[in-house]
Amino acid sequence: MVMTFANTALDLGNFLSYLSRRQEVVASNIANADTPGYKTRDLPPPQAFSDLLHESSLGAEEISGLPARNDGNNVSMDREARILAENTLRFNLASQMIKGEIRDLKSAITEGR
Amino acid sequence: MSLFGAISISASGMDAQRVRAETITENLANADTTRTPEGGAYRRKDAVFSSVPMGGTFASALFDASGGTSDGVAVSQIRVDETEPERRYLPGHPDADAQGYVAFPKINPAEEMVDLMSASRGFQANVTAISAVKDMIARSIDLFR
Repeated sequence: MVMTFANTALDLGNFLSYLSRRQEVVASNIANADTPGYKTRDLPPPQAFSDLLHESSLGAEEISGLPARNDGNNVSMDREARILAENTLRFNLASQMIKGEIRDLKSAITEGR
Repeated sequence: MSLFGAISISASGMDAQRVRAETITENLANADTTRTPEGGAYRRKDAVFSSVPMGGTFASALFDASGGTSDGVAVSQIRVDETEPERRYLPGHPDADAQGYVAFPKINPAEEMVDLMSASRGFQANVTAISAVKDMIARSIDLFR
């Protein structure tokens, strides 16, 4: 029971870290929406929960396929707004799940009372 | 820690957009100014943005070391328009030259208003990003309850 709690909560914690980091990258894209020559960056999607905090998944990369404006900037506000909303919802979900894990653990400690 | 970093980045964006809005309002206010301390007509100013790496916290230094950097934004320069001022024929004007022409700033109010709207929307986008991050931080704190 405790092992399961530790694993699930740790994975969810790593997911929260990933989402925080991604939020930072999105904030950076939004802040630079009017910077000439700035290219949109994003974190590569995680392969598995346990990979989330490996160094390879930390670096933000420039993403391709977005049309650039005349000043060389290719930040799409719609894309950033979508990721911003998505990130917040995912963060809420993961933190609710952690709360559930903690509640289960508490229930076990108090012998279900 | 990076959630607080995200707030700093958005704050830098708000700051830069505010400076841009200030520059634009200055241009609008001086659209008809013919005298300046530097002499001659007012010259249009433009805020130039450039991305700057945000640092300072231990966490950000750690992320930098592992190859991930997130950039904030800053106004790197206030560029002054060096093109020739617009000349209008106003012989009675106190600043008219020998031919009766007065040099007026080359400012297009419509262009400035569009820029002002863009600055305002950019500011709002950064505010929205901060609200989203604040919500995430509140959720994290909620885990302690």
